[in-house]
Amino acid sequence: MNWTAIKSIYMFEMARFFRTIAQSLISPVLSTSLYFVVFGAAIGSRIDQVEGVSYGAFIVPGLIMLSVITQAISNASFGIYFPKFIGTIYELLSAPVNFLEIVAGYVGAAATKAFIIGVIILVTAFFFVEVQIAHPVAMLAFLVLTCLSFSLLGFIIGIWAGNFEQLQLVPLLIVTPLVFLGGSFYSISMLPPVWQAISLFNPVVYLISGFRWAFFDTADVPIGLSLVAIAGFTALCLVVIGWIFRTGWRIRS
Amino acid sequence: MTSILTITNLQKTYAGGFQALKGINLDIEQGEIIALLGPNGAGKTTLISTVCGITTASAGQVRVAGFDIVTDFRAARALIGLVPQEIHLEPFETVQNTVRFSRGLFGKKSDPAKIQDILQQLSLWDKRNSQIRELSGGMKRRVLIAKALAHEPRVLFLDEPTAGVDVELRKDMWDIVAQLKRGGVTIVLTTHYIEEAEAIADRVGVIAKGELLLIENKASLMKRMGKKELSVQIADPIAALPDSLSGYDLELSSDGRALIYRYDTRAKRTGITALLADVAAAGLALADVETRQSSLEDIFVDLVQSEGGTS
Repeated sequence: MNWTAIKSIYMFEMARFFRTIAQSLISPVLSTSLYFVVFGAAIGSRIDQVEGVSYGAFIVPGLIMLSVITQAISNASFGIYFPKFIGTIYELLSAPVNFLEIVAGYVGAAATKAFIIGVIILVTAFFFVEVQIAHPVAMLAFLVLTCLSFSLLGFIIGIWAGNFEQLQLVPLLIVTPLVFLGGSFYSISMLPPVWQAISLFNPVVYLISGFRWAFFDTADVPIGLSLVAIAGFTALCLVVIGWIFRTGWRIRS
Repeated sequence: MTSILTITNLQKTYAGGFQALKGINLDIEQGEIIALLGPNGAGKTTLISTVCGITTASAGQVRVAGFDIVTDFRAARALIGLVPQEIHLEPFETVQNTVRFSRGLFGKKSDPAKIQDILQQLSLWDKRNSQIRELSGGMKRRVLIAKALAHEPRVLFLDEPTAGVDVELRKDMWDIVAQLKRGGVTIVLTTHYIEEAEAIADRVGVIAKGELLLIENKASLMKRMGKKELSVQIADPIAALPDSLSGYDLELSSDGRALIYRYDTRAKRTGITALLADVAAAGLALADVETRQSSLEDIFVDLVQSEGGTS
């Protein structure tokens, strides 16, 4: 492994994050605070406890997931799309690095950024609601796995995208609806049976359920199933990325 | 001399069926400067891109210092530096960071002193903390070279390094190339500026329609294929060539003061002695005689046109 190259890509990408630190951090913190004000205080005060947890606290895992998934995808997709757009990808393609090293650098940086934002949102939540974490290690593990797997998805989107519109297309039209309908703000047990069955086809349900279990020891789907879902999703992304680099799809003519 | 780059039967056919390289064979020796000349679309950039790993070859083999660019890609690519034709740089990054990144990407440990050397050599040290977007076009080209040199490559590919730059910067680039050669770097540059190849190359290759038409020492190429032009200036202008000189391939200048005679330097007899004698016999007083060697450009145009390779 070319560890120096991985470190170089990682540090270069992180430098971009720190260069725009204000907008990188203020935006998610502000939007999360607004969610807490609107859903937690204004609407949440009229909602009884959900599965034994106050509504304000109940939405914390979902809010973190919402931001982490969005950030992981946008950071990773932009990270690899930008070199394609400005042409600096030539340097990556001509360097003595393989696809695993390139992915490790870009996805590692995107996942780190998403993780930092997830932690900051968690800290912000403590200012609004009382949150307990039943399984801290599992919570961190779920957070890291989600950051990684969705950064991998973002990387694929960045390779696939031919312009900035396409770069936004998948997150806007597919990922955001899946996250919102994946139980970010409610338990799927609150839905009618038909919609509960339909929701089980949404992969994000398993992530949010598992993450919420780490906080409140209560879940919509068994925790084992959540782990299998996130592991399977990560493996699928890795297989797709492996194929991309083997065939040179959209990057090497 | 030791061979640093060996290209054998390299072919590239793009997905649409366009054959950009049609079996290129090329052997480059360590420390030389090769200029690859060719019209637009000849395959110069495809050749460089394939050797550097940006484009995948359809067939053939490339070895860099004995390392195959596919099976030993790490060792092969570590020896290569590439300066692309277009200015591809991260606009918001600083000069120093972007050069440092290139060194790391090629697996070399951080070496601030080496980076300083390179930046100083390219007159970029004063701009090391400037963002790329703040630099002039010429400075950006220097940054591209600095990035390509950051990992101390043994072979440097320059893809049309002076395309669209002013004369002064072009001369600067030639100086930089000469400096790199003195440092032992092998340089392969593509260009369609004949004067560039003429000024700095040791050997010249001509590519047209994906084929390497020739690769030869610049001086011997000019000697072998060059033609000379003899201009015989006469004291008193004439309206037409005398009949006694009709046996020569002569042209009368528009002002009637010079007889233009073209001859092949490779011919056993150039015919100059007989011509001058016959000019004197025709009663024309000689005022002056001068010769002009045809340039590489003339040779290039002749070659490409004779192969039907113009585009």
